[in-house]
Amino acid sequence: METRSLIKDLLRFTNSNQVFLLSALLVTFLFTLLLSISLGSFNFSLLELFNSTRDSLHTTVLYEIRIPRVLLAAFVGASLGLSGASLQGLFRNPLADPGLIGVSAGAALGASIIIVLGSSLFPSFIFGAFILPIAAICGAALVISLLYVFTRGFGYQGITYMLLVGIAVNAFASVGIGILTYISTDSELRGLTFWTMGSFGGASWYLILPAIIVITLSMLWMIPSSRKLDLLQLGEPEAYRLGVDVKRLKYKVIISSAITVGVSVSLSGMIGFVGLVVPHLVRLLGGVNHSYLLPGSALLGAGLMMSADLISRTLIQPAELPVGLITSAIGAPFFLWLIFRIRKI
Amino acid sequence: MSIKAKSIFWEVDNKRIIKDISLEISLGEVVSIIGPNGAGKSSFLNVLSGDIKPTSGSVSFDETNLKDISIQERSFMRSVMSQSQQIVYDFSVKEIIEMGWLDRGIASYSGNFKEAVMKVACECSVHNLLEQKFNTLSGGEQRRVHFARTLIQLWRPSNSHDPRYMFLDEPTANLDILHEQNLMKLVRSKAMEGIGILLILHDLNLAAKYSDKLVIFKNGSLIKSGSPEEVLQSKVLTEVYGLDMEVAKDPLRVNYY
Repeated sequence: METRSLIKDLLRFTNSNQVFLLSALLVTFLFTLLLSISLGSFNFSLLELFNSTRDSLHTTVLYEIRIPRVLLAAFVGASLGLSGASLQGLFRNPLADPGLIGVSAGAALGASIIIVLGSSLFPSFIFGAFILPIAAICGAALVISLLYVFTRGFGYQGITYMLLVGIAVNAFASVGIGILTYISTDSELRGLTFWTMGSFGGASWYLILPAIIVITLSMLWMIPSSRKLDLLQLGEPEAYRLGVDVKRLKYKVIISSAITVGVSVSLSGMIGFVGLVVPHLVRLLGGVNHSYLLPGSALLGAGLMMSADLISRTLIQPAELPVGLITSAIGAPFFLWLIFRIRKI
Repeated sequence: MSIKAKSIFWEVDNKRIIKDISLEISLGEVVSIIGPNGAGKSSFLNVLSGDIKPTSGSVSFDETNLKDISIQERSFMRSVMSQSQQIVYDFSVKEIIEMGWLDRGIASYSGNFKEAVMKVACECSVHNLLEQKFNTLSGGEQRRVHFARTLIQLWRPSNSHDPRYMFLDEPTANLDILHEQNLMKLVRSKAMEGIGILLILHDLNLAAKYSDKLVIFKNGSLIKSGSPEEVLQSKVLTEVYGLDMEVAKDPLRVNYY
């Protein structure tokens, strides 16, 4: 019943132009995926991807390094795009993004603690590779719990209140990161700095598989709410009068954004502007209704993130630029243009 | 079949906004609430729609307590139009109207989607605006679009006899005289189709002309209720509004100076 009415809604409230755009985005996504897998410090022709006849070094590079890395970039991009789109819908504010409610900052604080204090806290490092992501997820979860407590269960106080709580949480986290930066040694400082610039370099199957599962589940949970997010644009009371359980919708959007962003940030570091910029591009392309916007943002986010990672890997070969630098370098001017445009309206 | 509000009280921060108000709205009836600003009119409408829980008293829709009706079921039974908020993103007029469409998973409903949108758009004379961006419309046009959305929320196949109610908080605000009269005629015709309608109006003559029943609120209390002839009396109105008023009969008209 749920899925049937979802498909009906998607068809009814998505026009043919948008269906075409979504298909085009899907094709672009697949094309970028293949291109990203084949290009890099080792190049693979597209044919080779399907029948690997080369030596084992190439196979190892392809299956153990390249493919997990590209997949991680795709999933992180999709989750940032999707959560950006749904938070902009929830807050009815085109400038909202996952960073705004403090979730990214919480994850960053958790990761920073491990980078700086990890070697003294966990000297044995049995689960070495997992400790950093888990700490980042704990950080994100802590922020969400704080939000939950301060807004009395994401209650009816309105959105501004939650944004203000987010600003306070962001401030707390930057104090924590500041202290950690201050007490860190030179090598820890280097790790910290690189982490805040973002990279997909550390991708490996046993880290990204759980992440992929969690992100996929959380997206599948979120996308069916697209119609409710549309109704919310009329205002919270109006949405309620049209049968939307507003409190539950808030709960759903915030929890799922926090999970996907927490997981993403934990594996890739801080990657700015994707969650903010991607939904705007998708809106400019074809419309503002969420049945189109949510899947569109996930697809375009994935595509853009893979491209940014491809640039970061190939621009100054064999060295590598942090991918967060590239997204911010593209995103920041776009953001300025956006503010300028909104002011004109 | 009717909505019954029984001795509703509502307090915020120990301030009584609504004091012991009881009211019944039957199917096919137009009931208008009049009264000065701050009389508790909109708050009372919000209690009926379920937006706010009264401190004491009960609201029932067709003998079922509002508390026992789910948020979704409520949306099938009543639609509400109040002062609307700004819409941030660039939705088209058609998309805004479609937001009122509730799919109940029944074929006889979903098959009529397009015709239903066109019908309410024509009724509210916004059919020429459908492809335009909502945010480019004037205040009055936006109001008519919201009214179309309120109407489509209660759309039913012609053979359906579900009880339906509509609450309109100052529906004629921002409208020019022509559209004001058209909207009120449309409200009347919806009442003829069997919808029970609750209005909040400031224009006493509009209320006198189109209502079956009038209710006066002041300071959170119900002062008087009954037919327009019974309620609209010079002495009562002068007292409630603190302004000299005279009521003329045939046709019923309120004059004030």
